[in-house]
Amino acid sequence: MRLRALAALGAFLAPVWLLGQQSLPVTAKAAASTATAKNWTPPRTADGQPDLEGVWTNSTLTPLERPAELAGKEFLTAQEAADYVKRLLQQVSSDRRDGGPQVDVGRSYNEFWRDRGNDLVADRRTSLISDPPDGRVPPLTPEAQKRVEATRAYMRDHATDGPEGRTFAERCIAWGTAGPPMLPGPYNNDVQILQSSDHVVILNEMIHDARVIPLDGRPHVGPEIREWMGDSRAHWEGSTLVVDTTNFSSEYSFRGSDANLQLTERFTRVSPDVIQYEFTVYDPTAFTKPWTARVPLNKTADRVYEYACHEGNYALTDILAGARAAEKRK
Amino acid sequence: MLHALALAACVAMAVSAQKLPPTAGGQPDLQGIWSNATITPLERPADLAGKPTFTAEEAAAYEKQVAERSNVDHRSGNAETDVATAYNQFWYDRGTKAVETRRTSLIVDPPDGHIPAFTPEAQKRVQERRAWMEAHATDGPDGRTLGERCILWATAGPPMLPGPYNNNFQILQTRDQVVILNEMIHAARIIPLDGSPHVASNIRLWMGDSRGHWDGKTLVVDTTNFSDQYSFRGSDRNLHLTERFIRTSPDTLLYEFTVDDPTAFTKPWTAQIAVTRTKGPIFEYACHEGNYAMTDILAGARAAEKQAGK
Amino acid sequence: MLAPANAQNQAFKPPRTADGKPNLNGIWQAMNTANWDIQGHAAQAGQVVSLGATGAEPPGIGIVEGGEIPYLPAAAQKKKENYANRLKLDPEVKCYLPGVPRATYMPYPFQIVQSGKFILISYEYDGAVRTIYMDNPGPAPVDSWMGWSAGHWEGDTLVVDVTGLNDQTWFDRAGDFHSDALHVVERYTLAAPNVLNYEATIEDPQVFSKPWKISMPLYKHLEKNAQLLEFKCVEFVEELIYGHLRKQPSK
Repeated sequence: MRLRALAALGAFLAPVWLLGQQSLPVTAKAAASTATAKNWTPPRTADGQPDLEGVWTNSTLTPLERPAELAGKEFLTAQEAADYVKRLLQQVSSDRRDGGPQVDVGRSYNEFWRDRGNDLVADRRTSLISDPPDGRVPPLTPEAQKRVEATRAYMRDHATDGPEGRTFAERCIAWGTAGPPMLPGPYNNDVQILQSSDHVVILNEMIHDARVIPLDGRPHVGPEIREWMGDSRAHWEGSTLVVDTTNFSSEYSFRGSDANLQLTERFTRVSPDVIQYEFTVYDPTAFTKPWTARVPLNKTADRVYEYACHEGNYALTDILAGARAAEKRK
Repeated sequence: MLHALALAACVAMAVSAQKLPPTAGGQPDLQGIWSNATITPLERPADLAGKPTFTAEEAAAYEKQVAERSNVDHRSGNAETDVATAYNQFWYDRGTKAVETRRTSLIVDPPDGHIPAFTPEAQKRVQERRAWMEAHATDGPDGRTLGERCILWATAGPPMLPGPYNNNFQILQTRDQVVILNEMIHAARIIPLDGSPHVASNIRLWMGDSRGHWDGKTLVVDTTNFSDQYSFRGSDRNLHLTERFIRTSPDTLLYEFTVDDPTAFTKPWTAQIAVTRTKGPIFEYACHEGNYAMTDILAGARAAEKQAGK
Repeated sequence: MLAPANAQNQAFKPPRTADGKPNLNGIWQAMNTANWDIQGHAAQAGQVVSLGATGAEPPGIGIVEGGEIPYLPAAAQKKKENYANRLKLDPEVKCYLPGVPRATYMPYPFQIVQSGKFILISYEYDGAVRTIYMDNPGPAPVDSWMGWSAGHWEGDTLVVDVTGLNDQTWFDRAGDFHSDALHVVERYTLAAPNVLNYEATIEDPQVFSKPWKISMPLYKHLEKNAQLLEFKCVEFVEELIYGHLRKQPSK
C-alpha cells in the first residue's frame, strides 16, 4: 500500500495540502511582482524576441486546486500567507526519525529529496487555478468520468500485474511535471528555455523531454499523428509567447483529459526573475468547462541535469518481481 | 602471347572500324544492350585438341552440327524422357553462331584452350565441395547452386559467360562511371572510373568490388574483394579479375577476362567473347520472387522421406 | 552529387545567426549505416529469423579513419564477446540513451537549436537531449549517459568537448564499447548550405591504444515543415524488459 501511495503521488502531482498558521517574512520576490508586467519591458534576444532564456523553476507551496477550507477566499493576505507557509512547512516535513522502520520506509523521501519550494505564489492566490473562479478543476463530462474511473479501477485491480498497472511516470514514459502543461512536482521542477530565430525549446529536466516548437506559422501535423506531449506551435503576441498544442495521444491524460485536449500556454516575462506561465485546458469531451491556471516560473542559477529515468528504473522491475515472489510464497 | 596477338588484332579492328562516335564525356561509347550468346564452348572440346581455329567451312559445319544436337524438341520417348528434355530450343538462347574469330574455345590463354590445373589446395576444396553438395543435395538451400538459390547467376559473374538463356546485359556510361546491368538476376555493377581505391579488405562481396579506367580505347575493369562463398570455376576469395571491353564495330564488342588467382589456379588464364548488339529491352528477372523450384525441391525431398518412412 | 566532405578545401561562407556565429540551426541526419557497425562491413543476415530481410544488417564502408579501431588486446576480446551477445547487451535494444557520438549517427533525425548562450541538440531517438554549454561550464559534476558538453568556436567550427560519459553506452550495434574514461571532442563545420561536416576524436586509454577519429557528412532535412516526432521508445520495450515478470493467468 505504501507503493500505492507513492504511485498516487506520481499520478496526481499537486496534492492538496493542509493549512498552516505560522508566520514568515514577506519575500522580496512577492514585492517585485506586485509591480505590473506592463511597467517592465523584457530584454531582447539577438534575434529581437523577448528573452525568456534561462533555467526556471515552478516549485511552489500553492496547490493546483483551492482547498475546501478556503472556499470563496481567492487571495490570502500577507499575514495569512506567512502563517500558512510556516504551518505547512512544518506539517509536510517528513524529516523525522520517530516511528520505527516501516514508518521510515513510508517517509523514504524527506525534505532533502523534495523540491516543493518554501513559499506560496507571489500574488497569494489560494490556488494555481485562476479560472473557474472557485479555483477548482471543472467537473468531468459523464464519458470522461467513466473513463477515469475505469482507469483507476484497472490500476487498482492490476497494480502489480505488469507495467500497465503503474503510472506513466513509474514506467518512465512521461512525467507529470513536463506535461504539457507544466505543473510543479515533488522534485526536479526545473525547466530550461532556449530561443533561436525560429524555434523555442522548452526542456524539462524530467524526463529529459525537449519540446522544440516552431515559430514559423506552419500548421500542426496531421490528425493521424498522436504524441505523448502533443504537437506544439508558437507565436508571439506582443511580449507573450503563446504555445498551442494539439494531437495528444489517447494514452495521455492530464487530470482526466483525452485526445481532444487543446492546450494553450502563455509565457510572459514580468521581471528579471519571473516568467508568468499560464495555461488553459480546453477539452469539451472531457471537461464541462475550459479552465486556466497560473504558475510563476522563477529564475534559478541551477543547470538542468540529465534524468536517465528508464536506464535507472530498478523500481519497476522490483515492484513486479516482488509481487511475483509474494505470489510464490502463498 | 597468342592471346596478346588476338587482342592486338581486335584492337586493330577497332581502330580501323568506321568512325564510332564517343560518349558526351569523350570516351568510346560502349552503351547499349548486348548479348554474349555463342555456341563456342569455354574450353576446347577434346576432339578438337590441337585445333585452335576453324576454317570458315568447318565453322559452318560445326554450327549446323550444334544446332541439330541442341534441338531436343522431339516427342519420342516416354513421359520421363519428356521431363528430362523439358527445356527445348524455344527456351534456350545459346545463339547459333560460333565466335567471329572461329576459335574453338573461348579460352585463348593457355594456348591449349583449357583452364589451367588447380593448386593442390584448390583441388581438395573443389572436390570436397562437390562431394558435400552431392551428399546434401536436398537437405536445405545450401545443397543447391547459387543460381537455384537465386543469389547469383553465372552469366553475370563477374566474369560474364554465356549461359543457356538470357545472355543479355546493358552498358550505361557517364564520365565517372560505367554500369553493367545483367538481366539475370537484375545485377547492376556500378563501376567508378575516378581512381578511388577498392573497399577495405575485410569487406567481401558476391560480385567483388570493381574499379575501372580507360586504357586508350579499352575499358579495363579490375575486381577484387570476392566473398568466400563465391567460386568461379574453382576460384577462391583471392581471385583478382581483369576484364577488358573494346568496341570493335557499331554492333560488336570484344569482351576479354583474365583470371588471376594463384591460390586456386597454377597459372592465370584468359578468355575472349565476341558480344553483339541485341534488341532490348532488358526485362526484369524476379528470380527469388518466383522461386517455386527451391520450395518444391526441398518439399519433395521431405515428402519422399516421409513416404520411405525415414 | 553530394558536397565535398573535405573540410580543408571548402571556401564555403556559412550563413550567420544574429550574433554572428555560423548558423547550425536545422534538422540533420547522417546517411550511413554506422549505427550497425562503425567499421567497414558487408551485409549480413539478421539475428531474428522471423524478421527476414527487415532485420538484416546493411553494408557500410565505415566511418573510422584508418579503418580499424585500435583496441588494446584485452578490450579487443571484450568487443568479440559483446558482438557475440549483442542482442542481449546492446543498450539500443532496451531503448537506453545512446551516448556520444552514437547519438549523431542513429538512423533518426536530430535538431540543433542555437541560441546565444546554449546550443541544444534534441535527438528524435529516445528523446535524447544534450545542452552544449558555451559559457565554460567547468568539469562534469557527475557522469551521465549523454555526457557533459562544453562548446566553443574555432573560426567557423563548433568544437564540443564531451566528458562525464558513463560506461554504459556502445558506439554501434556491433559491440564497440568504451569505459567511463571516454573523452570525445566533436567538430561541426558547415561545408555547404545543407551539409554539416562532423568529426569526432575518441580517446579512452583504458580501452584503446591511441586516440582515433570518425567523420561523416550530416545532411539537412529539406522537406516542407520538417520536424522531429516522438520516438520515446520506452513503451515499446516494456514487453521485452518486464514481460517475464508479468502475472501469469491463474490455472
